[in-house]
Amino acid sequence: MRIYVTGYGVISSIGENVEETLISLRSEKTGIRQGQKTYTERFKVGEIRWSNDELVERFSLTQHASRTALLGMIAAKEAFKGHELLADVKTGLISGTSVGGMDVSEIAYKDFLNGETDDLNVYRNHPSGTTSEQIAKELGIDGYVNTISTACSSAANSMMLGARMLLNGQLDRAVVGGTDGLSQFTISGFRSLMIFDDEWCRPFDETRKGLNLGEGAGFLVLETEETIQKTGKKPLAVLSGWSNASDAYHQTASSPEGLGATLSMKGALSIAGLKPEDIDYINAHGTATPNNDLSESHGIKNVFGNTVPPFSSTKAYTGHTLAASGGIEAVFGILALNNGSLLPNLNFSQAIEETGLTPVKNYSEGNDVKHILSNSFGFGGNNSTIILSKV
Amino acid sequence: MKVLAHSYVCPKGVKLNGEPVFDTQAEENPLKSAYQQLGVEYPKFYKMDVLSKMAFIGTELLLPFFPAGTDLENDLSLIFANTSSSQHTDNLFVDSYEKLNNPSPSLFVYTLPNIVTGELCIRHKWYGENCFFIEEQFNPKNYAAWAQSGFSKGNALCLCGWVEAKTNGEQECFLFLLSPSDKTEHTIEIELSTLIKQYRNE
Amino acid sequence: MSDLKENLKAQIIEQLNLEDLTPADIQDDAPLFGDQGLGLDSIDALEFIVLLDSNYGIKITDPSQGKEIFQSVNTLADFISKNQ
Repeated sequence: MRIYVTGYGVISSIGENVEETLISLRSEKTGIRQGQKTYTERFKVGEIRWSNDELVERFSLTQHASRTALLGMIAAKEAFKGHELLADVKTGLISGTSVGGMDVSEIAYKDFLNGETDDLNVYRNHPSGTTSEQIAKELGIDGYVNTISTACSSAANSMMLGARMLLNGQLDRAVVGGTDGLSQFTISGFRSLMIFDDEWCRPFDETRKGLNLGEGAGFLVLETEETIQKTGKKPLAVLSGWSNASDAYHQTASSPEGLGATLSMKGALSIAGLKPEDIDYINAHGTATPNNDLSESHGIKNVFGNTVPPFSSTKAYTGHTLAASGGIEAVFGILALNNGSLLPNLNFSQAIEETGLTPVKNYSEGNDVKHILSNSFGFGGNNSTIILSKV
Repeated sequence: MKVLAHSYVCPKGVKLNGEPVFDTQAEENPLKSAYQQLGVEYPKFYKMDVLSKMAFIGTELLLPFFPAGTDLENDLSLIFANTSSSQHTDNLFVDSYEKLNNPSPSLFVYTLPNIVTGELCIRHKWYGENCFFIEEQFNPKNYAAWAQSGFSKGNALCLCGWVEAKTNGEQECFLFLLSPSDKTEHTIEIELSTLIKQYRNE
Repeated sequence: MSDLKENLKAQIIEQLNLEDLTPADIQDDAPLFGDQGLGLDSIDALEFIVLLDSNYGIKITDPSQGKEIFQSVNTLADFISKNQ
């Protein structure tokens, strides 16, 4: 049974919807710039320019909520646009997030510490689970709603769970993806790990120093063949493979030989019934930290040997959007399939000496792109891969 | 699907398959005491957050019940969940930069709940799939459904966990080992609800 | 200098949660990282950077500098006395 993608939505620093995103990808325009908020101004970040109140107004949202929830609502609404709630189509929502309502809680907490307020009501936005409930409410979905929190592989894992629930008949249609808004908490955390690059990040480059953070959300609508007959939706792509594996190496660092990465890529190929040579483009996790990119390069070589397909990291466009990255990059993947695009790895100049892999350097269209593989690796050694195929 | 074994860790003490193993009620540091009573040599334990510590102890106790001959390296999946995510450590981390002005990397590492499953995989060299869910309350229905979808993919065994540390100090870790069998999902759900209720009430 | 080293040992144990050790267990010249020593890892190295900043006012901006400085209690004490 095939799992079809019948809707997609995205918001990130390179675009507020799918159309704008494609324009930015085509023009090789990064969304990363010097931060505009008090806690981001010292860093280069992929920030969305609107405040929370502006987001509510601009996208006609019905709820005031945390940034994570608002971004999720925007992308999920775009994905679900034109879809109807039907009594005989069991629809669920699975969303990934790592920080939940942190951006509003931390402001409230600061005010609380300063003695300016003791109103704890704002914390009702805080739980990661609430974020998903709010997104579901915005779409009118009141059935199965769940939240995955596996760091930066959260969105990919929500796609995997959605696909499985469709296959098992637990759902007929699933809205899946991930969302994360930037917060002081996240910035402080990555600062403590000393893995920021003060300049524009350079994934897979020998001189890479670290990552730039970003924010956003990406969602897909998944349907079975049977559901499509009821909804009459036209499929955009097929979700043909998915897999998750543990790296079992370190809480935050990836294993030097890329074991978890290798296992997750192989697992997804096996579910899809594809051989490595069937893959036409890899959207790598590629955070631009010295550790991830080397480990992932080894993983890619373990799976693809000496014939590595065109690959790139799009993190130099958006920054690392954490739990949202797998969702945002799945949308990029579908755009690549449907336009025959190979997406460039911006800011690349020099291959990593140890592995010698050169990513796609320029945007091109009209290539024969039938299957793309997309990696999302999270702290905790949680490694996930999905494969999207042309309908 | 059937429940092969289960354990429960909370500040009062540690239980295995319903029977008390360690009584830590009088201890100043119950988890440290339980770890020391386990007699396992794993100094990294001391660096873990409270969620990982509880899951570590609960898992060590379940090891003898893992069926022999299972390819644990590849065919074991981990499904964990809670309500408060990593809130307990999140607060400590916020204090490290708000009050001490120096964000602590070793606290930040534990501001993700799935580090719990990561720690277990590192400790036991498990390379299979693992996931962490955020839910309003312990929900046996979802564990059964997720485990089932893993079994149909070929996983032989599923280590499930409900590991919670609330900001009000309440802590508990209920672990159970599921394997495929002809018992229905519904039977398992009832069994799990009963078990956690018993543990909580004792 | 020996006071500094003793203080450092206590601070290391406290900051890195090495609850199974006492200062007497840490030799001045024993390697802190790797399997031969205390088995500390990359996160502990970052914690050292925090420790130097909060306790001694010394800032390290490039974590790769840590490799030499954090070899042992001796090298750490040396670095502190030269940079404080």
